Order: sequence, then structure tokens, then C-alpha cells
Amino acid sequence: MTAEAPPRPDRPTARSRAAERARRAAGRTTVRVWTLTAACLVGIAVLFAVTTGAIAQARDGFQVIGHGAGPKVAATADLYFALSDMDAQVANVLLMGDEHDLGAGREEALRRYEQRRDDADSALLHAAQLAEGDDAEQENVRAVLDGLGDYEQLVAEARLLNDEAGGGAGQPPAAVVDRYREATDLMRLELLPKAYNLTLESGATVRATYEDRRSATRLGPVWVALSGAAAAGALIALQLYLSARFRRRYNPALVVATAGVVGLVGLATLMLDDQAQQLRTAKEDGLDSVLALSRARAISTNMNADQSRWLLDPERADTYAQGFLEDAQTVLYVEDAAGEVPGDLAGYGAEVDDAVTERGGYRGRMLGFLGEEVRDAPLAGQAAAQQEVLRAYDGFLRADRDMRLIAESGREREAVSAHMGGAGSVEDAFDRYEEALIELTDLHRDTFDEAVRAGDDGAAGWDVLLPAACLAFAVLVLAGVRPRLAEYR
Amino acid sequence: MRSRALALPMAAVLALSACTGALSDTGSLLGRDTLRIGVKADQPGLGLRGPSGEFTGFDVDVALDIAERLGVEPADVEFVEVTSAEREEALREGRVDMVVATYSITPARKTEVTFAGPYYVAHQDILVRADERSIDDVRDLAGRRLCQGEGSNSATRVIGERGVAARLIEAPTYSECVTMLEEGEVDAVSTDDLILAGFLLRSRDAFRIVNAPFTDEKYGVGVAEGDLSGCEAVNRAITDMYQDGTAEALLRMWFGDTGLDLVTSVPQFEGCS
Repeated sequence: MTAEAPPRPDRPTARSRAAERARRAAGRTTVRVWTLTAACLVGIAVLFAVTTGAIAQARDGFQVIGHGAGPKVAATADLYFALSDMDAQVANVLLMGDEHDLGAGREEALRRYEQRRDDADSALLHAAQLAEGDDAEQENVRAVLDGLGDYEQLVAEARLLNDEAGGGAGQPPAAVVDRYREATDLMRLELLPKAYNLTLESGATVRATYEDRRSATRLGPVWVALSGAAAAGALIALQLYLSARFRRRYNPALVVATAGVVGLVGLATLMLDDQAQQLRTAKEDGLDSVLALSRARAISTNMNADQSRWLLDPERADTYAQGFLEDAQTVLYVEDAAGEVPGDLAGYGAEVDDAVTERGGYRGRMLGFLGEEVRDAPLAGQAAAQQEVLRAYDGFLRADRDMRLIAESGREREAVSAHMGGAGSVEDAFDRYEEALIELTDLHRDTFDEAVRAGDDGAAGWDVLLPAACLAFAVLVLAGVRPRLAEYR
Repeated sequence: MRSRALALPMAAVLALSACTGALSDTGSLLGRDTLRIGVKADQPGLGLRGPSGEFTGFDVDVALDIAERLGVEPADVEFVEVTSAEREEALREGRVDMVVATYSITPARKTEVTFAGPYYVAHQDILVRADERSIDDVRDLAGRRLCQGEGSNSATRVIGERGVAARLIEAPTYSECVTMLEEGEVDAVSTDDLILAGFLLRSRDAFRIVNAPFTDEKYGVGVAEGDLSGCEAVNRAITDMYQDGTAEALLRMWFGDTGLDLVTSVPQFEGCS
């Protein structure tokens, strides 16, 4: 640049020395202006890069939670549900014997069985996609698929034997019960645990990704604010230097650029902060509850299956009653005010009755899926939906007690009818409970969808706004310094 | 000058990110070079301390296997005795990193401890003398002398919850119950089947397990509350342990000769929360 002219061979005069000094001073000024200008441009470039990165990270979080693994995990939760309902429908068909019109009827039970078989297939497909790259999980998916084939074979044999034997409702022949035992043991002891673990594992993957993204999205605004402060600092330094050096009060272009940087950073941090909030809402008020309630529904379906098993196989009645109670405690765990846990179905039912009717004044403790889910209700309509779930669950347990009393008094056919037959039956109460559960789940699903949509919308437009604004700032800086530099040409 | 002005806030941000990173990993099981694992010291077949101080049993082997799958060699595992009453406290105070000690997962305990597993679902069952012919399930205990260890509620489950009118006899420990059973002072002992199987190993020909399970005891691996990534890693280790046959081999090695019906496929996990 203009910094130093080659030294003259002859001795400089006083006048030429003064000119030399002036030239050197001018040279120094030019260098400083250029350095500060470069600092401003670098600052703006860094701000651009950091903000772009922060937006990308926030989008990535929504991509995983909102559009990728999140919804798929919710879908794999249906695997357990589909499998336990398959087993329940099989037990129902066997229980009906040749009375094909009991309850919703044999045709309906068979149709539901096929439907659940298809549901299980598509849930397995989701699980297989989520398990990609994880050998242990893929092995699990394969084991469930293979086991399902064996299960269907056993079910087909049991049905064939049952059809051949004929006979009324509630007394399937021993050979049928034996074959069903094989099938249900495969289902209960191998397929259902593996299916449940698959859901848990894919949930764990989503959780880890979320934790990872969440700390990134929380730090995003901080980085943006810091790089914005640096860029604004460089702009102010340039401004101050120019006004001191050229005795002008301010440089309009630089003032606009500085205000623009501050404004942009303000908007970006607000937007990123909102994104972090929406991501949190989508995960914690949306997905987590959807998953917990889907699991509650799946386990409840297994309770329903245990009722059919209990009726079908009196020899194993204790095991199935115990299974029912264990599952019930998983769905809604109750402990009385003294910390005692009811150990039989009658005690459990009475305690749930207390907990549900006294709700606010209940002095015991409610835990388990429903107990945790009904703890607080920040969403509109949530409290009412929760109360409805609890009431319907209580109703289901009451119908269960009635049905067991009838069966224990030796009236098997009537018990089967109380289990599956129309209004007031166990099946009827279960349907009502399931509907309430689905309604509450939908409330959380809507919250999830809204948060994801808000997240997607929030970052929209920034792909254009951000580069345009940063480019404009750079142009303003150059426009601001150009006339000053021109004074030295 | 600009870089110096930036250095301070940068350092603050780095410290902040280090903090949030550290928060989620505080007390996690992962990335440790050594592990302290709480086990029982007086439970034959599950966790028993020998005369020279070494621990043996199914729980001990399961713990070693999990540790190895988490990247900790057996030589770097230190076993610490925990009694049933002190398991939560030992985890809370960080005296142990992990508890594998016939530790049943219950919703109430889940509020204090994060549970991986279960690695096995045990069931309450009944131990009788080998020549006992008239006890085949829990109802046959009516009118018979049933021994219960102090502080346990296994008899409540028989008498209170199942309405079976057994005659309750209490002894300080289940070990003493088993001695009384051998000497004919009681007719039956009822507690977790794996625990009964462990006692049965003491004198194999003297006893018989009835094989009439009537509760689920989900034996879990307790980790520090909130250590979700550690818990998930233990679940993966248990999955692998079942998939490659290690779990079945360990079950057969410890309980294969006891006549107990063993389940050798992976149990349904509780979920880390």
C-alpha cells in the first residue's frame, strides 16, 4: 500500500521531512481503518456462521424428535399392544366354543386378531428401521418376528382342535387348553418382553439424542449473543476511531450497521430460545406422555388378555390373576396412607376406588404410568381427561371383580358372558377405559404436533433473512469507510 | 485487543457448557475404570462371602458380567456387602456404584433408585422336605407350619392375601427357617424361588421346591437415581447377556440341579426413569 516510499539518496530538506511525516501518518491511519474494517467484516462473518450453526442445530433437534425417531418410537409402542390383543382375541375365540354370537361375536374377534397381526407387522417394520446399525436390537426384532410365526402356528392348531370339539362357551377341552398354553407362554414369556424392551431401547436412543440436542439448543443463543457482541464491538471501535481521527460526530452507515447487528442478534436469540422451549414442550409434555400412555394402554390390554386366560384355564387361574395384579400395579400403583401395598385383587380394587373417588383428598400414594401422568395438568382440558381415565379404569376393575365372583360361584358360561357380553360387561368397561386413555393420549399428541409445527415455523424465513442481513451489514461497513479512505488518495 | 475482550465470555461459555455436560453425567456408571458393586454376603447361591472374603453366587456373576460389558475388568470390580435395609442409602451416598442384591423393583423404590433390568424375575415359591408329598401348591399350606424370616412379609402373602390358614412361625433369618425345616420343626418355608434354590444347594437331598410360583419379584440392578444413560447401558448389557447365552449358562450353573423351573429368555425391562 502507501506505507513507505523508497528513501531518497540525497539528504532530505525540512520541507520534504514534514511531507514524509504527513505521508507516514496518513499511511498509519489507512492501515488502522483497514484493520478495523476487516475486524468488522470478520465479526459479521462469524456472527453469520454461528447463527447458521445454531439454527441448524435447533432444526436437527426437531428433525429427530418431531419427524424422525420420535414418531417411530411411538409407533413401536403399539407392537406390545398389538401382540397382547392378538393373544386376548385368541383366548376369547376359544372361550366362545360354538356360541359364535357371544359379546361382539366370533367373527369380530377373528377380524380384530387379523387387524392386530397387521399392526404388529408395521410396528415391527418401524422397530427394524430404528434398530439399524444396532446388532442386539436387530437380533431382538428377528426373534420377535420368528416367534410370531411359531405363535400363529400354535394358535391355528388350538383353533382347529377347538372347532373339531364343538362344545359350549366356557369349557374348552383339555387338548385345546394345552395348545393354547404353549402359545400364550411363548407370547407372555418371550415375545411380549422382547417387544417391550424394543420400545424401551428405541425410547432410550431418542432420549440420548434429545439430551444432546437440548444442551446444544440451550447454548445456541449464548453463542449468538457473544458473537453479536463481538461484531458490534468491532463496529463501535471503527466508529470511535473514525470520529476521533476525522473529527466527525458519527458515520451514518456504521450506525445503521451496528443497530442492525444488535437487532438481528436480539431476534435470533429470541427465536432460538423459543425453539429450545418448543423442543422441550414437544419432548416432555408431548412425546414422553404419549409414550407413557401408550405403554399404559399396552399393559392394560395384557390385563384384559389375562382375564380371558383366567377364564380359559382354571388350573392356572392363580398365575393369571397374579399377572393381572402385577400389570395393574404397573398401570396404576396404589399404596395406602400407612404405606401398605394391597397384595390381592380385592384389596387393590378397593384402594383404587378410594384413590379415584377421593382424588384430591386421597392420603395414599399413586405411582405407575397413570399415577405419574395424572400428577399435574398444565394443558387445557387435561385435568378432566385424566379424571375420566381414572374413573373408567376404576369401572373396568369393578366389572372385573363382578366377573370373577360369577366365575368363582361355578357359573362358567355366565362368567364368559359377563366378560364379553354387551353393556355392563368387562369388555364394555374396558372399551370405555381404552377410549378415555386414547383421548388423553391425543391431547398430548396434539401438544406434540403443535410444538413441532411452531418449531418448524419459527425458523422459517431465516435462510433468507440471515444471509441478506449479514451481507447488508458488510456493504454498510464498506460504504461507511470508503469516503474516509478516499480522502487519502 | 478484540481477542482478549472475547476471551473472558468465551471462557464463561466453555465453563457453562462443561457444567451442563457434567450435570447429566454426575455419578454415572459410564466411563468408570473401576466399579464398586453392592451384593449380599449371606445369601447362598446368590451373594455369599467365603472365609477368605471372596464373594460368590449368581448375583455376583451377573454383576461381573455386566461390569465387563461396561468395559470394567473383573480385577477392577470391588464387591461391597449391602443388607436389604441399606441398599438405597448405599447408592445415595455413593458407597456403591451399582447394587445387584436380590433387589426387587417396586414402584415405591423407583422413586428413590433408578433400576436397570430386571435381569431375572424370581417368584415366591415353597420349600418343603424332600419326602413331603401333601404340599403341591400354596393352598396345601392350610393348617401347616410355615416359617418366615423376621422383617419379611412372605407369610402375609400366603395367609393374608391368599386366605390360606397356615400356622405362622417366625425365625430370625431364612437360613434358620431352613434349618428348622430340616429338623422337622416347621413344614414349609416360602420366599423367592432363587433364594430357596440357594438354600437347597446346602443339602440337596433334604429338600424339594414345590414349583408353584405365586408372585413376581423383578430382580433389578440399582444405580444412582437419575443415571439414565448408565441404566440404559446396563439394560443393553443384560440384553447381550441373554442373547449370547451367558445368562442361561449362569442360571444352569447355579440353579440347574435344584429342580427349579428356570426362565432363560430375557425378562421384560422396567424402563429407566
